[in-house]
Amino acid sequence: MASVELNNLGLTFTVRHDKHITLKDFLVGRIFRGFTKKPMQVRALSGIDLRVNEGERLGIIGHNGAGKSTLLKVLAGIYQPSEGSRQVRGRISSLFDIALGFEQEANGWENIRFRCYLQGETPAGVKAKLREIAEFSELGDFLNMPVRYYSAGMRVRLAFSIATAIDPEILLVDEVLSAGDLAFQGKAHRRMREMMAKAQIMIMVSHDLEAARGVCNQVLWLEHGTVRMLGPAGQVIDAYQEWAGTAQQRGESNPGGQVVQAAA
Amino acid sequence: MIFGSENSTLAQYLREVWQGRFFWMSLVRMDLRSRYRGSALGMGWSLLNPIFMTTILCTVFSTLFGQDLHTFAPYVMTGLAVWSYLSQSMTLGCLCFHQSEAYIMQHPSPMAIYPLRVVLGNCFHFGISLCLAILLALWGTGWPGFLPLLSLVPSIGLFLIFGWSLACIFGLMTVHFRDVKHLTEVGMQVLMYLTPVWYPAKLLQERGLGWLVQINPLAPFLELVRAPLLDHSVPPPLAFCSALVVAVASFAIAAWSLRVREPKLIFYL
Repeated sequence: MASVELNNLGLTFTVRHDKHITLKDFLVGRIFRGFTKKPMQVRALSGIDLRVNEGERLGIIGHNGAGKSTLLKVLAGIYQPSEGSRQVRGRISSLFDIALGFEQEANGWENIRFRCYLQGETPAGVKAKLREIAEFSELGDFLNMPVRYYSAGMRVRLAFSIATAIDPEILLVDEVLSAGDLAFQGKAHRRMREMMAKAQIMIMVSHDLEAARGVCNQVLWLEHGTVRMLGPAGQVIDAYQEWAGTAQQRGESNPGGQVVQAAA
Repeated sequence: MIFGSENSTLAQYLREVWQGRFFWMSLVRMDLRSRYRGSALGMGWSLLNPIFMTTILCTVFSTLFGQDLHTFAPYVMTGLAVWSYLSQSMTLGCLCFHQSEAYIMQHPSPMAIYPLRVVLGNCFHFGISLCLAILLALWGTGWPGFLPLLSLVPSIGLFLIFGWSLACIFGLMTVHFRDVKHLTEVGMQVLMYLTPVWYPAKLLQERGLGWLVQINPLAPFLELVRAPLLDHSVPPPLAFCSALVVAVASFAIAAWSLRVREPKLIFYL
């Protein structure tokens, strides 16, 4: 039985303006406290209570910078919560930032292996999947080339083929993946739908409200890092659209724009 | 599966590191391959590099100072092997977390595997240099005996622990202060002259600077390798205990820092 549970979860992180503190800043800051610029505290998430049970398809919606992707990373275990707790039962597979992190000097085959091992595969498991991944990516002989010669589209194809070659228990997806050219996109969408159907739990961040309405049965509306509304998909999306509509009438093209900068 | 969280014990953590073994082992293999990718000699450079360095230093010292090559060549080779292992654990360790940023952002793996990636790569080169040093010692001073050679096995264990701890500590420091990387590079130059890597330790003792070696935490590690190969004896208990203390202490610092910093590390990358 897969399940995900968050209790009163909060996440605060510290960003500095130039991101890295130098040794000088550190020493000077220690001696003359208050002289150096204060690090910026970003309250990315607070007081999130959430329980997702087997069979549920949860969509996360909200304006830019509301904390959707951050929440997904907390669910994946990449960010540790500052307070509250996170309990996950089941194996997590995440589909975000997939085009990042190729080993540039290694060729396609080798990168398939790294990714599979990272996802927890064994050598025997990788061997079984290698051909299927290669075929799905349609990269053919390019797989023998170092990844640094790949075009952006080829990278996405390869990343997508690897990332979706798993049987997920809990699937986390960020946005709709725009993978490669038109022909590949059709294939990719089909593969995504298959995966979403197979997963015991699926949680996706979406800007495409109609897609979320079709796929999800539960929707979580995030605003400024807190839960604004959580409930059946249709109901929450209607409320969100209504709210966004009134925001547009007031002339705010990007509701909550200040938060975007704070959390970016 | 919450890594680095408060309720995970050391045993659980180590189990997670072990479960990810296929991942980090494949990274180590790739690091070794990509280091020499495109070069005609490939891995041969790992072999030739220490040979060249030793030849150069031996030529200089035997012509200038009349050192006896039979004892001096293995002395230099062992020194260089140990030095390059330890110094590279520090300098390459500085970037261990940055280098793996993309993986850290994608998948929650125990962070200990990233310093491990660096150290295992170094260890491979260390092993090659050590084999060369053993051959050179056989030529120069004869068969060291079975027991002294066997004593290298626990010593290498200490080297691994110490190397991982150094890489981890320097990696964590670099994440918080980027300057550490550059400071380390400069520091290594200084440290090399404070460690009897290729000049005889006697030189220092004669000038009343023997204490420099005694307080140098890297010196007992040199002794661990030199005692069996050059003096044909197991390392003196003092050297072994010093190395053990240094390795365990640095491991404790590294493990504790990692435990404290690991949950927040990702925000500083």
